Amino acid sequence: MRRNVILLTIDACRKDTWGCYGESDLTPFLDSIQDHCIRFDKNYSTGPYTQASFPAILSSSYYLDFGRIKGTCPPGRVLVSEVLKKQGVTTAAFHSNPYLAAFFGWNRGWDTYYDSMEADVSDMQPYVSAWEINKKAGQWLQSQKGKDKPFFLWMHYMDVHEPYIATPEFTKAVDPDLNLTKEEQFALFKDVLLKRDTENKAGIEMLRKIYWSKVHEIDAAIKELFGILSETGHGNDIVIITADHGDEFNDHGGLSHDGKMFDELVNVPLIIYDPSLTKGIATDVITSSLDIPPTVAHLFGIEAAAAWQGQSLLPLENYSRKGAFAESIDKQGVHEKGTEPEVHMYREGDMKIIYRQGDDSWKQYNLKEDPKEQKDIYGNDTTSEYLIKKVVPRVGRYVKK
Amino acid sequence: MSNVKSLGPERIKELETYIHISKNIVREAYRQFDPKDIRLVWSGNKDSTLTLWIWRETCKQYGYDMPKAVTLEEGDSFEEVEEFLKRISKEWAVELDVASNTDVLKACNYTLDADVEVKLLNERNQKEIERIGFGGLEKFPFEPESYIGNHLMKSVALNTYLEEQKIKIIVQGLRWDEHPVRADDAYFEHIQGEELQPEQIRIRPILHISERSLWDIYHHWEIPFVSLYAQGYRSLGVKSTTKKLAEIPAWEQDLENTCERAGRRQDKEQAMARLRALGYM
Repeated sequence: MRRNVILLTIDACRKDTWGCYGESDLTPFLDSIQDHCIRFDKNYSTGPYTQASFPAILSSSYYLDFGRIKGTCPPGRVLVSEVLKKQGVTTAAFHSNPYLAAFFGWNRGWDTYYDSMEADVSDMQPYVSAWEINKKAGQWLQSQKGKDKPFFLWMHYMDVHEPYIATPEFTKAVDPDLNLTKEEQFALFKDVLLKRDTENKAGIEMLRKIYWSKVHEIDAAIKELFGILSETGHGNDIVIITADHGDEFNDHGGLSHDGKMFDELVNVPLIIYDPSLTKGIATDVITSSLDIPPTVAHLFGIEAAAAWQGQSLLPLENYSRKGAFAESIDKQGVHEKGTEPEVHMYREGDMKIIYRQGDDSWKQYNLKEDPKEQKDIYGNDTTSEYLIKKVVPRVGRYVKK
Repeated sequence: MSNVKSLGPERIKELETYIHISKNIVREAYRQFDPKDIRLVWSGNKDSTLTLWIWRETCKQYGYDMPKAVTLEEGDSFEEVEEFLKRISKEWAVELDVASNTDVLKACNYTLDADVEVKLLNERNQKEIERIGFGGLEKFPFEPESYIGNHLMKSVALNTYLEEQKIKIIVQGLRWDEHPVRADDAYFEHIQGEELQPEQIRIRPILHISERSLWDIYHHWEIPFVSLYAQGYRSLGVKSTTKKLAEIPAWEQDLENTCERAGRRQDKEQAMARLRALGYM
């Protein structure tokens, strides 16, 4: 049986907002499909923001492999779309993240590349919604009915990304008393989030609830997508769902997703939905978003590109990864300069080490004993020296070259 | 200019205030810097021409020497703009240099969309291409307002010129209402130097002047401008990627409710505006 692959990525979505990963009741639909899913509990993004994480998801490469390049896609990155297309797979993308616009070179290898840059969007919602992405992808899925060629479809939802403006029907489930107008919510974005005002505890709590309501909305959009897949005759296809990075609500003294390396930002959800599975599988092996392109290639029976640095997650019994790296630039953003210091993370076993080049500092956490990463044990643990050796060769490696 | 309405005394007073603010920026510049160390970046468009006019008026009023101006030759100019620069620089006695990335122009044989072989470019251009993320690229079609083209033909051309001339201070005709990404720009900005990016002090005297006020000033003080604006162009980039927005003069269009830069190549603008709205700037 020919099976297509759909990759759904959600921008800035924290792992702990998914019911299947914890206490949350925000994602009833995602929770309901777990019997047909392989769930990865320790999947690491390669960075805490889009520019740092998407090179892994789309090209199995790290952010800084090609220097400080402001999110553009250099020719050296081999996109999963390029590999699949060459092997006769139809490729299509529907997203609304400006960092991944065709303009920056991410449209290579896609037969269809919708980046929404021509769409009219507002300051309160500077992207096209998940519902609109569903609609566009739905039309495209319809067009694939009866086609001989298999397809790879990548969709990306921006709705969980700031500015968070809730859709009223989804706020009720989070907090029926959260009656903020759009303008009030936008003011919270501007006055609290953008200013990174971590003193404003009440404001942060409201932002968190609005964020939760956006996650709840996304869950409904995913449900709609699964309906569209069934209606268009693609109900047996494989769906991979993940997030490019998480988001911070003063977990470690910050808001949004700057250059930090704590789990709320880099330990991202990842599930592979396979309707032929009859029992859900959860695995706590450490995996990396780098593994997504080789996994997709594997599902089509296509060989992974030599340049790819990840390995196929499937078959699970053959998978072996020791640890996961992530990297970022301290002051990320469009004003980032070549001189901004780097931040590096390495996770292996229960240990995570973080290096900040800016103040040449190391921090280490034991995630089993200290999952919230509050107690720095660097230097007080026998593994510190080993972990440092893993990270040091990666710091400034582009400059060294 | 038969269609231009005459302005009431209050509006004229308001415009005078705007000009006065700009003149004060110019005076502040002269308190800090020697005009020999300054270059006015003059593309011939409405913003840089107004900046030049105000700068020149200030010089006349206070007896300052005019700095030199510099214009960028990007290989895809409107003839009307070239003619305007030539004529006005003569009329206003402005010494005008031309900065251009001739290495790129030669590589594409001065032809739009012709392929530029990266390995045939000089070391600086190759490094610059690598710096913006295209290391390993073999060739690209020459287009001055593409991502690579924009960097090579604007930023690199100007930076190279400024380095050769040992100039750190430039004057730019930017306006706050021209584009949301400009909203936080400052009258004086110090750019730290780093590899391939020379240290710069950027002076922007007309930030506060809106598109509407700009046209009112042009008409009231009878300042010359490129004829293309009368044909319906609102904002001028290079010839092949700039479109008219309407068949009526720029100043008769709905300036308040339509986008000034809609006729310009949009990719970069849109990406930047979206990133800003997402909280990234």
